[in-house]
Amino acid sequence: MTENQIPSEYCLEEFYPGFSPHDMDSAYKCDRLDTFKPDDGDLFWPLDFHYPRGFVPLGFLVVADGPCWGLQIAADNVPLPTSRGIKARMVGTHLYATEIPVTDPWEIESRAVAAGEHIPAFLETFPETWTKRVRELETWLHHLEGSEPSGSLADIGNYFEKSVRLIRRAWEIHFEMMYPLVANYVGFYGLCEELNIDPSQIGRFLQGYDTKIMETDRQLWGLTRRVRELGLEDLFSVTSPDRIAPELEVAGPDATQFLSELREFLDVYGRRSEGIIDLASAPWIEDPASPLGSIKTFLLMDHDHDFEQAGREVVAEREEAIVSARSRLTAEELAQFDAALGACQHANFNWWNEEHNFYIDLRAHLPLRRAATALSEAVGADNPDDGLFLFGPEIRSVVAGDTKWSEMSSLVVERRDYYEDWKARRIDMPKMLGTTPEEVTDPVMKEVFGMGHHFFAALADPSSEILKGVPASAGSAEGPARVLFSPDDLHTVLPGEVLVCEATSPNWTPAFAKIAACDCDSGGTLTHASIVSREYRIPCVTGVAVATSRISTGDRILVNGSTGEVTLLDEID
Amino acid sequence: MSGARKSGDMNGVIWVDEMDTSSSDWAGPKMAKLGELGRLGLAVPDGFALTTDAYHEVLGSRPVRREIDRLLASAVADDSASVTRAARLVRHYVLGLGVPAGIEHGIVEAYNELCLRRDQPNLATAVRSSATGEDAADASFAGQFDSYLGVTGPESVVEAVRSCWASLFTDRGVAYRMERGISHVDCPMAVGVLELIDAKASGIAFSIHPVTGRSDRIVMEGSWGWGEAIVQGLVVPDRAEVGKSDRRILDYVVSAKLVMSAFDQTAGAVVETGVPESLRQARVLRDDEVLAIADSVISIESHFGHPVDVEWVASASQDGQPEVTIVQARPETVHAGEEKPEPAWDPSSYALKYAFGTKPKK
Repeated sequence: MTENQIPSEYCLEEFYPGFSPHDMDSAYKCDRLDTFKPDDGDLFWPLDFHYPRGFVPLGFLVVADGPCWGLQIAADNVPLPTSRGIKARMVGTHLYATEIPVTDPWEIESRAVAAGEHIPAFLETFPETWTKRVRELETWLHHLEGSEPSGSLADIGNYFEKSVRLIRRAWEIHFEMMYPLVANYVGFYGLCEELNIDPSQIGRFLQGYDTKIMETDRQLWGLTRRVRELGLEDLFSVTSPDRIAPELEVAGPDATQFLSELREFLDVYGRRSEGIIDLASAPWIEDPASPLGSIKTFLLMDHDHDFEQAGREVVAEREEAIVSARSRLTAEELAQFDAALGACQHANFNWWNEEHNFYIDLRAHLPLRRAATALSEAVGADNPDDGLFLFGPEIRSVVAGDTKWSEMSSLVVERRDYYEDWKARRIDMPKMLGTTPEEVTDPVMKEVFGMGHHFFAALADPSSEILKGVPASAGSAEGPARVLFSPDDLHTVLPGEVLVCEATSPNWTPAFAKIAACDCDSGGTLTHASIVSREYRIPCVTGVAVATSRISTGDRILVNGSTGEVTLLDEID
Repeated sequence: MSGARKSGDMNGVIWVDEMDTSSSDWAGPKMAKLGELGRLGLAVPDGFALTTDAYHEVLGSRPVRREIDRLLASAVADDSASVTRAARLVRHYVLGLGVPAGIEHGIVEAYNELCLRRDQPNLATAVRSSATGEDAADASFAGQFDSYLGVTGPESVVEAVRSCWASLFTDRGVAYRMERGISHVDCPMAVGVLELIDAKASGIAFSIHPVTGRSDRIVMEGSWGWGEAIVQGLVVPDRAEVGKSDRRILDYVVSAKLVMSAFDQTAGAVVETGVPESLRQARVLRDDEVLAIADSVISIESHFGHPVDVEWVASASQDGQPEVTIVQARPETVHAGEEKPEPAWDPSSYALKYAFGTKPKK
C-alpha cells in the first residue's frame, strides 16, 4: 500500500465559477457526486478514462444521474457482495472514480447469497429482458428525438425533466445488464483458466456477433465506396473534416447525391455523440464532421476494409478456437465448458458491451443537449450551446422564470474558458490519486477499467523495456506508435500505426480499420478496445497501466496480443 | 496362500505366470502385481522371481546376520557420515557373499528355461529388486532399490541378483531401518528376472493427472528406447493426455529428445546414448499406441480399484498393431483418496469465485 495525499489543489472547493458543488441537486443512491475531501486519500482514485474531454456544467448532471446513479442502484440490486458501485469526484471539469467497498463480513456474506440467486435467473432471461429494455429505451428516445420543445420555457422545462428521467432510466438499465453479464463472463474466464485454456483464446469464443456499432462502421465504409464511385475523393483529400459538408453543398449533382445518402445514414446511425455521455460534442446528425473525417482517412487506405470477408473470418476464427479448445478437454470437462459457453453465448457480454452503446452511452444524453440548445435559443443566448454551461439547478431556475438569462450570460463566458483550460490540463493530470491498493474487487473496475493484478504490477515497475498487460486480442504486430489522449485527434492516425491510448470508446472504432495494433493503459479482455480489436483481427494488449506515459508518438513498438507484452523496439528522443 | 506358494516354490524360484497378488510375500509386490496383470490379459514380460526364501537363506543365516549387525554397529542414526561408511561396508560384504549352490543352480536353471521359453539363447534380461513393503503406504521407501537392464547370460544374472540384494543397504535403506528399529531380515527382498522387452519407446503413465489430481484423464510421458533416461530425468519426454471416459486423445506435445537409453549388445547392458538427429523432434508414439497404453492403464486402475502409475514399453510392431508391455504398476500415492467434486458449470458460484472474489455459499 502506498499512501498518497490528494494534492491540495485538487481538494480545494475550486470549481466552475459561480457554482458550488454542494448545490448539485442530482439524485444518488449511496454516495453523492462531489469534489475531493482530504480524507478521500485513503481510497484509490483512477482518472476516469471514459471522459477524456471533461464535462461542461450540465455534463455533471449526466454523470450524477447517469452512470453514478445506475452503478450504485445496480450494485445494490444484484447485489455485488463487496462493492456498492462506483463513486466519483470532480477535479475541475474532470472525474476520478473509485469503488464503494462493502466491508462488514455479515453484509458481504448476505449479499453473496442474494447475488448467487439473482445471477442465474437474470442470465436465463437476458435476451427477453434486453429486448424489453431496448423497446422501452426506443420508445423514450423516439419520443424525445421526434419532438421539438416549443419556445416556451415551461415546455423546455418539461422536455428537460423528461430527458433527465431518460438518462436515469437508461443508466439503471445499463448496469442492471452490465454487472451480471460481466460477472458471468469473468466466471467463464476463470473456468477456462481452470481448464488450462490459452487465455488469449477466451475472448475469441464470443466474438463475431454483429452489433449496431459494427453495423454503423459497415455503413461508413459503404459511404466511402460511394465517395469513390461518385468521384469525390479529391474534394475529401484537400478539405478539412469540418469543411467537407459545406463544400459538398456547392460541388454539383454528384455531391448532392452523396449528401442525400449521408443524411439517410445519419438519420439511422447519426444520433450519437463523439464521446460517451459527452454533451459538448454535437451528434453526427447535427455535425457530420466526425463521420466525414473517418471517410477521409478510409480513403487513404489502398483497399477497402471488406466487412463481409472480415466478418466471415472472425466467425471462422471463433469456431476454430472453440473446436481447438474443446479437443483438449475430457468428456467431463466438455460438459462443463459447453454449458458455460452456452450460457455466455445466451447472455453474451462481449456482444452487449458494444450493442448497448448505440442506445445508451452515445445517445441517451442527447435529448438533454437538445433541451439546453432549445433553452439557449429561447432566451436569445449568443451561442446555441450556451445552455450547456448552466448546472441543472440553474436551468430549472431559468425555465421556472426565477432566474433571468442575463444574470447567467457572463458566467457562461467564464465557464467556457474554465472548460477549455481544464481540457488542456488533462494530459498532465495524475492518472491516479489516493492510495494504490493491491487489488480492487468491483468487477467493472477490474474488468472494464482493467485494474487486475497485472495493472498494479505494471505500476510497481514502470521502467521496464517490456510492458506487460492483458492479452486481449491474439497475434503480434509492430509499427510506429501514435499516442492519443483524446478522440479529437483520431483523424491524425495513419494506416499501419500502433494506437497507444488510455482507453477507447465506441467513437474510436473507425480507427481500428487503419491501425496495426492497439495498446491501452486501461482495460481487460472486456473493454471496448479488446472487443473491437478482435472484430478487426488486430493484436491488442490492454491494462498496460503505463503505456501512454512510457511510449511517445513515433516510437517503434511491438504489440504481442497473445502474450500480453508490449516491447519498446526503438524510442525516438 | 500355501497353495500359491507350493506351485512356484522350487529352489526359491517362482514364475510370473504362476503369480497373483497372494504371491507378494515371496515374490515381492512389484513382481506379484505383474503376475496379476498377466492374468488380466495384459502383456507383461515373461520371467521369474527369486523369492524371499532365497533371500532369507542367504542373508538371514545366523553368521551373515551377525556380521551385518557388527558392520552396522558403528552407524549412529543422526550421524550420516557414519551411516554412509557402515552401509558401504555392508554392501561390499554382501557383494562378496557366496551364493549357496542350490540357489545359484535354481537361478541358472530358471534363466536357461526362460531362454528356452523365449526361443532366444543368451536372452537379455531386466533384473529388478522387488522388496516387500516397497508398495506400502510409506511411499518414501518405494523405488529406491536397484534395477539392471540388459543383463545377459547366467553368470551375469547371478551377479545382478547379488547386486540387488546389496542395494537393500543403501544409505537411505540403512537409515530408514535404523529409524524404525527394524532389521534387514524384517523386510526381505525378492528379485525379478524378466525378459528385456525390445523397447522402441518407454515411459510412464498415470491414471490421474499427477499434478492436479483430476481423475478424468490418463497422462503419459514417453521417449525413445528404454525407460532409464526418463526415470532419471535425463530427457524431456513427449507428453500425451487421453480422456478416460471416451478414450479421446486430448493433447500430444512433442519435445526435443536428446538422450536415450539403448541396449548395447556387446556390453550386455542398457546405456545412455545420444538420440539421432532425425528422431529428436519426431513423435514417439502413434495415436493407436497412445490409446493402447491408455487402455492398459484404465484396466489396471479398475482392477486394483485405486489410481495407479504404470511403466510401459512400446515395441516396434510386426503387424501394424500397437505392442505395449506393462513392466510395472504402482498405486499412485499423491492424490489417491482425494475427493474431487464432479465438475459442473454453475454461473453463480463461478461469478462469486472469480468476479467477486467471494467463496460460493454451498
